[in-house]
Amino acid sequence: MKHLLSIITGLAVLSAPAMAQTAAPSGDVAIVAPSQQYCVTVMSGFPNDDHVARYQFFRLTQDIAEGATPQFRAALSQYGDADVNAQTPILDVIEAIANPVLRQAAPEMVIGFMEHLIDFEDRCGVYLDGQISSLKAYDGDLIWEDPLIAEDALFLRQILSESLERAGASNDPSHAFASQDYAANLISTRDNMEFQVFTTEIDDLEALYMTDLDGRLARSNDIINKEMDRESLDDAITLANDMDKDFKEKEDQRRLYTLWRILGR
Amino acid sequence: MGRVKTAFLISTAVLVTGCATSAKGISTSAVMKSTMAEPLRQETPPGTVMAVLRYPAHVEDDAKQAYYDAYAKRGIGGKWSKDKRDAAEIQALADGMIIKSNYYALSVYKEMAAKMPEHSVLLSPHTVKLGANGKLTSEPMTQAESLPSVVTVDFTSYSFPDAKKMMGKAPLTFGDLVTPLVTVHSDHRAAAPTQGLKLASAPILNTSAGSGRRGVGQSLAALQNGTFETSVPPLDFISYLNADSAARVPSQSFGSMSPNTVTSYPLEKIQLDKKVLAKINSKGASVQDPLKASFSSGFANQVIGIINRTDVNKATMVSRAAAIAQYDPSLAALTIVGSQDADYLARYRYAERLLEAEQKYLSVQSLRLFDGVYNGEIGVQTRDMLKAEHDHLEERRELARQQNVNTTMAVLGVLATGAMIANGGVGQDCSRSRTQREYYECQRRNQAANKVITDVAIAGIAYTGSKAYSLNKQSKMMGSNYLSSVAPVLEQQQTVQVNLIDSNETITAIRFEDLRSKLQTLYSQKQRSLDTVATRCGYTHDGAVKSGTWLGVCENGLANGAGVGVLRADDGRSIEYYGYAVNGQPQGAGYMITHTAAGSTALEGNFIAGRADGTMRETKAGKNAQVMSYSAGTPTGQAPVGSPVATPFDKMPMSLSGAGN
Repeated sequence: MKHLLSIITGLAVLSAPAMAQTAAPSGDVAIVAPSQQYCVTVMSGFPNDDHVARYQFFRLTQDIAEGATPQFRAALSQYGDADVNAQTPILDVIEAIANPVLRQAAPEMVIGFMEHLIDFEDRCGVYLDGQISSLKAYDGDLIWEDPLIAEDALFLRQILSESLERAGASNDPSHAFASQDYAANLISTRDNMEFQVFTTEIDDLEALYMTDLDGRLARSNDIINKEMDRESLDDAITLANDMDKDFKEKEDQRRLYTLWRILGR
Repeated sequence: MGRVKTAFLISTAVLVTGCATSAKGISTSAVMKSTMAEPLRQETPPGTVMAVLRYPAHVEDDAKQAYYDAYAKRGIGGKWSKDKRDAAEIQALADGMIIKSNYYALSVYKEMAAKMPEHSVLLSPHTVKLGANGKLTSEPMTQAESLPSVVTVDFTSYSFPDAKKMMGKAPLTFGDLVTPLVTVHSDHRAAAPTQGLKLASAPILNTSAGSGRRGVGQSLAALQNGTFETSVPPLDFISYLNADSAARVPSQSFGSMSPNTVTSYPLEKIQLDKKVLAKINSKGASVQDPLKASFSSGFANQVIGIINRTDVNKATMVSRAAAIAQYDPSLAALTIVGSQDADYLARYRYAERLLEAEQKYLSVQSLRLFDGVYNGEIGVQTRDMLKAEHDHLEERRELARQQNVNTTMAVLGVLATGAMIANGGVGQDCSRSRTQREYYECQRRNQAANKVITDVAIAGIAYTGSKAYSLNKQSKMMGSNYLSSVAPVLEQQQTVQVNLIDSNETITAIRFEDLRSKLQTLYSQKQRSLDTVATRCGYTHDGAVKSGTWLGVCENGLANGAGVGVLRADDGRSIEYYGYAVNGQPQGAGYMITHTAAGSTALEGNFIAGRADGTMRETKAGKNAQVMSYSAGTPTGQAPVGSPVATPFDKMPMSLSGAGN
């Protein structure tokens, strides 16, 4: 959330001229098939002064739309009511969603703003993907699985889920299942994210301990292997050979004596 | 005729003492021929290893005499010669076995590790010591056996304790000869009829079965006491030396595919490839492994085949629960049958990740143990020793050949002399004599000539016989000389090897404890609470017995939900149950194993009030698992083909229905 607020604060200054320009008359969100004009218009409302911020907002929009089934979108349509259109700057939309006063006082507005973002992602996914790919090609350092973006998206989705609850969707037989399913999905997404953090911490711990252990064992093995006295084996074999030779000589003498005795009969 | 008699007496004596064997072995083990190599088809959950390889690595000082005595007393595959037993030779052979087991086990480890996923094979060297009862036992020197594993493999390279039999047919691990003694166990839940035993060398099969049976008893006793953890069993070979109680299990010869039986691996003396052995310690070249082509590679395939036919979930569920219990006792019993609850799944995933960290950590230890022994000076010295032993054997083989030539010559000499005498000997034809006097002169000359020839022949026979006897003595003396000379070296090498393993374990253990404590802290910080927790309460089976223990979900002091139940019935049966229960009794999908004096059987399917009811998978010794219909605990016949069998493990990703049964 810190990340989201810092982006919003930073971009508020950057996008102020854009806001002035896009104070367009309000109207209903287009519900017809994907329109290039609509997509281009909405996308022009994304930050365009900083390619990193633009990338982050595109990714945030993608993540926000996660888990929005047609049934769930029907619930949004039913309970959402916000003054938003293609010309509304994206920053205004997200600011409105994150506004704690608005969340408490007018959940239907929050729902409406979220519906606007989800609808945009649904209708203009291809353009969004294209923009994201272009930006990534332009700057290879941009991270696809940015945990901060994922965290912000989840926060906004939780606001949406709570707003729907506040608006009464969970008690509405037509929309209860979709909204509850969405809420359960958020829990599992939250679990996954927390597990990811846990895994990262364990990975670090594991790497640290395994490297340390490996180094220590290698050093210890080297020291102990030096204790091996390899000459002792050579000595033992020489000793055994000498004993064998000695015995053989005695046996040869004994055999000669036997032969002498036999021949001397 | 007196001379003929003498000659035959000599030849008999020569034949008795003079024929020498030359310590031969088979070039390729049965494990290399019996099955096609198959790829590993199983997967294990994180934190579960495929195999742990156990072997004797050290004998504690105060256990040495008991070990030598037991080793001498419980010889395998041979008969003692009439010569006086030499304690020093017995000790050298016994110490040599430990050194070779240490070394050749690493060949098996290398092959198994190469054929299985990373970190899925661990080494568990054992130290042989005296137990509290004064009997021999063995304990793991590392923590490898604290992790769940699909199978455990015991490996020992064996030598018959009589050094006088080294050149004979008795088992031997010396020079180019290796006699492996192996056993493969899984947990008995995955192989109920054989109590977990999957494969065993024929001479120790019954002892290994006894070990499996004791393991069952210990595990049930632990469950009855409310814990999943049981002590690690000693090596099967040590149990054999100890003459621990044996048991009978259905077995099959190697290469057969009868279900639910133990495969009996014949005692084999394997002769390694001399070409590989000749290059075993070539400077600058990579380390040559002569056992690979004759045994290790094929044995690793056998282990893979066994794992492929083992139900991984059943084989590891209890040991996994024991490992998880270290971090989270309230979760442990729930992991037996699993759950779809989000809080359970989240917590289980964390626990598995902890075990995975342990697994990787212990795997590093195994790899370093391998590297330290195999690639270090210890390995070089062992290979030098193998080379020296091989040279020694070759010399004795040459002596044996000479001895046999002498024996053959002596025998042929006897036969030729006998034949000559029987045909009237050599000399002139006296019938052509013109006078009586000439005839007598001729006869006298012939007799004199025959006497000389016979005397020379007998002298030759006696000499070659004596030489054969002398060569035999020389060969035996060479064995004795070698073993007595090399004994201090074996002791020194064992000391260094133990230092290495001990040092590895000390370093590993300190950091392992530290790692575990950090993992525990991380786990405690991150985990979410469980809605349903596992505890301990009463399990009544079919209601008649009240003394059972349930580890799992409880309500009103009785089993109610998922978990594990165990009890001993009044009729002597021991029953263990994994699945769902209501009011202390199995109810719903479950897996029940019943142990009686006659053996163990398993039933999987639906239970009502503690009794099998519905379509059940029945597993008995020597037969494929059968799908039977049951009503109120009584079989009513074969179930229709395709009848579904309820299983409590359907939420476990690694459960392979019917595998290993």
